[in-house]
Order: sequence, then structure tokens, then C-alpha cells
Amino acid sequence: MAEVLQVEVRQSRGKRNSRRMRRAGTIPAVLYGHGEETVSLAVRTDAMQAAVRHGSHVVELAGAVQQSALIREMQWDVWGKGILHVDFARVSADETVEVVVSVELRGQSPGVKEGGIVEHLVREVEIECKATSVPEKLVVNINHLKLGEAITVADLALPEGAKCHGDPVAIVAHCVLPVAAPEEEEVIEGGEAEPEVIGGRKEEEEGEAE
Amino acid sequence: MALMPKRVKHRKSQRGRIKGNATRGNHVVFGDFGLQTVQGGWVSAATIEAGRIAAQQYLRAEGRLYIRIFPHKSVTSIPLETRMGKGKGEPDFWAAVVRPGTVLYEIGGVTEAAARLCFTRLAHKMPVKVRFIRRRAM
Repeated sequence: MAEVLQVEVRQSRGKRNSRRMRRAGTIPAVLYGHGEETVSLAVRTDAMQAAVRHGSHVVELAGAVQQSALIREMQWDVWGKGILHVDFARVSADETVEVVVSVELRGQSPGVKEGGIVEHLVREVEIECKATSVPEKLVVNINHLKLGEAITVADLALPEGAKCHGDPVAIVAHCVLPVAAPEEEEVIEGGEAEPEVIGGRKEEEEGEAE
Repeated sequence: MALMPKRVKHRKSQRGRIKGNATRGNHVVFGDFGLQTVQGGWVSAATIEAGRIAAQQYLRAEGRLYIRIFPHKSVTSIPLETRMGKGKGEPDFWAAVVRPGTVLYEIGGVTEAAARLCFTRLAHKMPVKVRFIRRRAM
């Protein structure tokens, strides 16, 4: 069930109005796609943040516009906490969409008990699937991941009819022995080690040759 | 060993000014949790290393630590009891210039409670105010 977002049509434009809107608890958004007119919208901040928190990719717009939409792009503030702007793309139920879905590991790897660590390497994959069947996230069970074993992109359980665009042999997660920290062999002699200056030494050598 | 560039175009750099907030390197990319600065400043190579050691000692073999900053800037100083003038001093240390919002370190493969404790130890070493952040959902 897609998340329902109440939206209003926005007449105000520009950064000053957008800032006022954000202060008042709404986020500027835009709806486009399917060759139809682009509509400027305003959506409640708390509702939008809840949708993001729940991992929704396709939402049901209600209010001024009643339509299914894909969250195509989001702009975040410097702190990565507040949403500044959202791009919605119109989608129909039978349409195929390309979305980036996060990959989550679940469970406890038996390899950890043998002294290994689980490294999560691929955290997001791009998949192509029906708009109605976009998963919130791809859950990978690592209860059977032994030491030295790996789970690849090809092993991911995708929804029916979905295709993954990632490299199938890319390692999503593996259980390996921790790499020991390198020995600190390089000791600075007199604390005067300096990086090489580009062009500096060359000129000196040329001068000596002459 | 403290971090420093392998090759540089110029040995000495001007002091510069830190303006605005970080627009890059401001969210968690590699790990699950991050330590984000809320102030601008210089983080010296020795400080970065001190932070790394503090975190590694806490983490031991668990999890993985990522350092997201690198000291590209050389900072010069004039020796003590030297009269002013006679040109710019010699490089003293290397520092990373951080703007508010920059993620300094990241941790992956540990629980949030462990990451918080680890970053608390690490934060004491930092010359800037920092805060704990999580990986963004989208």
C-alpha cells in the first residue's frame, strides 16, 4: 500500500517564498511526467519525512492532485536532516520504473563467531520493476553467511518481474577476517619529511646537469 | 604516521577563509553512522590520527572505520624567539579544512550504541564541535 501524501497546488515561486513555506512546515515540490503539464506543489514536511523514513518510493498524492507518483529526486539541507525540495514523477500502475533501492542485512552471520566481520559493500542497487511492486528495501538474510563466503547482487531476492541493473557479480556483503592494521614502519627522521614538490626537484636536477 | 600529501604543487599555502557550509562530503556514504562537524576549522593530521587511534582502540577488530577528511593544507609557523619579518615561516603541520556539515569519520558494521560510544571517545579529540548522524534513508 503506497503512502498517501496530501498536497496543495503552490502559486508562490522563488527562494524567499520557498523559505517561508519551509518555516511554516511545508516543502515545495513539483510534479511532472507523462507529457502533461508541470505542477508546482506543496507537501507537509512531517508527512514527507515519514514517507522517506518508511522507504516509500511510489506515493499516492491526494488533495489538489490525485495521482500516483514516484519520488524521483530529493534535495537535502547541509545537515542531511531536512528535505528542501521533492521531485515527483507521474506513474501509472502498469508502468515500469527504475528506482534505487537500499539493501539491508538481517540476521547474525555464523562467521562472526569464528572471528570474522561482515562487510556491507553494496548498500543500494538500481532495479527496474512495476510501479506497484517497488519494494521499500531489499532484505538480505545473512544467517547462513559463513566465514569466507559472499552474497552477490545476483543472489538478491527481487520482486516478481524485477530486473537488477547492477553488476551481478558485485559483492553485496561478505564475511572476512579483519585486516590487521599496518605496522608503523615509516618513522619520520627528525620530523622533517615533506611531500615532493611538483616541478621543484626537476628544475634542481636540470640545474646540476648544466 | 600522520597523513600528508605525497606530492604538492606548492610547499606553503595561504591561510584562506572558511565560508559557508559543506555542500559535499556532508552525508554518510561508506558506513552506517558518521561524525559530522557543526563548526568550520582546521583539523590537523595529528588530530585525525589521534581520532583514528581512539576509535580503533574502542572498536578493536569489530566494525570498520572510515576517515573522510585528508590534510591537504600545509600550515607554516615562525620559530620561537625569532624577530618578525624575513619571509614566511616553514611548514609546521598539515591540516584538513572542514566546513560546517563535513563528515569527519564513519563507522560501519557495529550497533548504534557501540558507534555512539566510539564517536564520544573520538569527539573529545576534535578541535570542532561534532555530532552523531545516521545514514540517510534515500
